[in-house]
Order: sequence, then structure tokens, then C-alpha cells
Amino acid sequence: MTAPWRKPWQALRSQAWSPYAAGAALGVTTTLSMAVWGKRLSGAGAYQHLSGYLGRSLAPQNIYWKYVMPPAGITWELWLLVGTFLGAFGSALASRQFRLRSMPDAQWQSVFGPSVVKRWLIVFAGTALIELAAGIAGGCTASLAVSGGAALAPGAFLFIVGMFGGGIPTARWLYRKAPRAGAAV
Amino acid sequence: MSALPPLVIGCMFGFVLHKARMGSYAVIVNVFRFTDFTVLKFLMSGLMVAMLGLKLTGALQLSVGLPIAQTFVVGNLVGGVLFGIGMATAGFCPGTVAAGAGEGRLDYIVPGSLGLYAGALLFGLGYPKLFPLLARLGNFGSVTLPGVLRVDGWLAVALFWELGLVLFYLLERGPLRQPQSSASRDNATHASLRGWPQ
Repeated sequence: MTAPWRKPWQALRSQAWSPYAAGAALGVTTTLSMAVWGKRLSGAGAYQHLSGYLGRSLAPQNIYWKYVMPPAGITWELWLLVGTFLGAFGSALASRQFRLRSMPDAQWQSVFGPSVVKRWLIVFAGTALIELAAGIAGGCTASLAVSGGAALAPGAFLFIVGMFGGGIPTARWLYRKAPRAGAAV
Repeated sequence: MSALPPLVIGCMFGFVLHKARMGSYAVIVNVFRFTDFTVLKFLMSGLMVAMLGLKLTGALQLSVGLPIAQTFVVGNLVGGVLFGIGMATAGFCPGTVAAGAGEGRLDYIVPGSLGLYAGALLFGLGYPKLFPLLARLGNFGSVTLPGVLRVDGWLAVALFWELGLVLFYLLERGPLRQPQSSASRDNATHASLRGWPQ
């Protein structure tokens, strides 16, 4: 077994890291962002920052887009989103995993079937719910669970409890007919 | 504002999300089925290292004022539950949509981004009626656990590390140990994991 620091280029080209190694790297990234620039990591934020462009024409008097989240050009969160995409793109290129595809892993089909339309509709509904929920909770996995938890904010742990409290029964119900370990290959 | 810092942080974030396989639908969903604990290990070790990093940079006076997430009990909890329902169904969170998009997943790029935008619009439209109510229920503002419980910050971090290490022991050696589900391994073969401590 080669130690990763002996051959760093192998680590860049590896298809997956141990979750602990990746978690440590996530912790370093979070520390850097919060301590040096005073900014939380964010996933949901960019879309909130963009929402005003369409939102203000839908509801011109809405206080949210007037005062709380007015369109503000290209913000930190937008650059962060671009960077997140580029970082994942670079990683996928390095590990030769970049491939245009319209359906997810095989496991999806074991429950929802092979329809692309169905997948895309559920993705649309699911992401809309997630982004709405992130607004209600005051953040998402990155900006609340990780960045809030790192600063020991109680709200982050309430959010994590809620996330598993909502996710576990949903997954149990969706996969009620699937075999327990590994639904399909 | 310079674009470079958020681009660099974003690149690191996206790179790590991909290496942790967070762009994979099955990896995310299976943590809720207890068949693959990758998400839990990644989240927990990330929290442990970031907590320690923030304490250290604070002690060495390398840190600017930390942005502390808001605690408003009902909003955090209700939002979390809805978030979990969406996550267990579609198999991602907002950040991992960008990570999956970077792998070339069109379902993340097209309906994923559109759905996130629609959700942000919905929240904005509901905000004037919804938010004043939520913000009034159990709102503590920018507090921290050591501040609320009046314990030392280092002690809180040490306790969290202890909790994390016990969890990792249970997951790797103890009763929670499980063979990784084959479904979530489809992106990564054992050969590709060689060289990294498992």
C-alpha cells in the first residue's frame, strides 16, 4: 500500500478518496473560507442571490427582493458556485469519470424505472423543495450543517437532526420493496 | 470584489465533493437507508477538522470575525426535515448538484439547476408571510453551543472529537460495520481506492 503523500498525482487521479481523507480536506477548505475570508461555504446561496432577477418582475413589491436579497451582480456566492462546478469538473477529468449522461446510478432504476422524463421531473421537484427548505432553515448542508456546525452553532445540529429525521423515513418508504443491502447493481 | 478567493475556495470544495463521491445519487440516498455511511463519515470528519481549524486559527489570531449561522429552532428543524425529504428522493443537496454537474450529469445540469432556481423563487414569494413567523419562534440569533451552555470552547471541540471517534470506531470495527453496498460502488472500484487508507 503506497502512502498517498508519496505519489500525490495518484491521489488527484484517484476515482474516490477515503471519506475520512476527503472529510479532512473539506474541513481545511471550510477553515480557510471562514477564518481567512469570513465567508461560509455555500451551495444554496447562489440561487437565492440570482432569484431577484426574475422574482422582482413577478412580485415588484415583495420585501424579500427589495431589501433582503436584491439582485447584487456577481457575488461571492456566485463565484463560489462556478468554482465548485470547475473543481468537480477538474476532478472528474483527472479521474476520467467525466461523461455526459441523463440518468443517475443504476440504483435509481430499481425503484423509479428507466424513464428519463420521470427522473428529470422528480429532480426538478426535489431540487425546488431542497432550495425552499434551505431558505426556511437558514442554510443548506454546506452553509448551515458544515459551516454552522464548525462554529458550533446549535442551529446546525438542529438542521442535521431534521435532515436525517426527514430523510430516513422517506428512503425507507421509497425503498420498502428493495432488498436491504444494495438494491441493484 | 476580487473573484479569485471564492473561485479558489469553490474549486477546492467541488474537487473534494467529487473525490468523496457526493455527486453520486446512490451514495447520498444510501446513508438514509443505512447501507452506505460515506456521507456520515465525510460530514463528521469534515466537521471535526473544521472545528479544530477554527479554534486554532482563532487562538493564533489568524481569523477574521467568524460568520455564525443563525439559530431559530423551528426554522432550522422544519427546514431540515423538508431538506432531508428532498435529499432522500432526488439524491443530492445544492452543493452536490454543482459537483454532479461537473461530472457531466445532465439531470443535475438542466432540471437540477432549474429546480434550485424555482425553489429560491418560491422561498422569495413566500418570505413576507412565512419568515416573520419563523423568525419569531425560538430565535436565538448568532449563538454558539459553548456560549449557550457556558462551557469552554476547547472542551466542546474535544467532546465533539470524542463523539466522532467513537462513531468512527462503531462504523469501522463495531456493530454498525457493513459491507459497502454494490450499488453505490459503481463509480469507484476497489482498485481505484488503493493507496488510500480505508
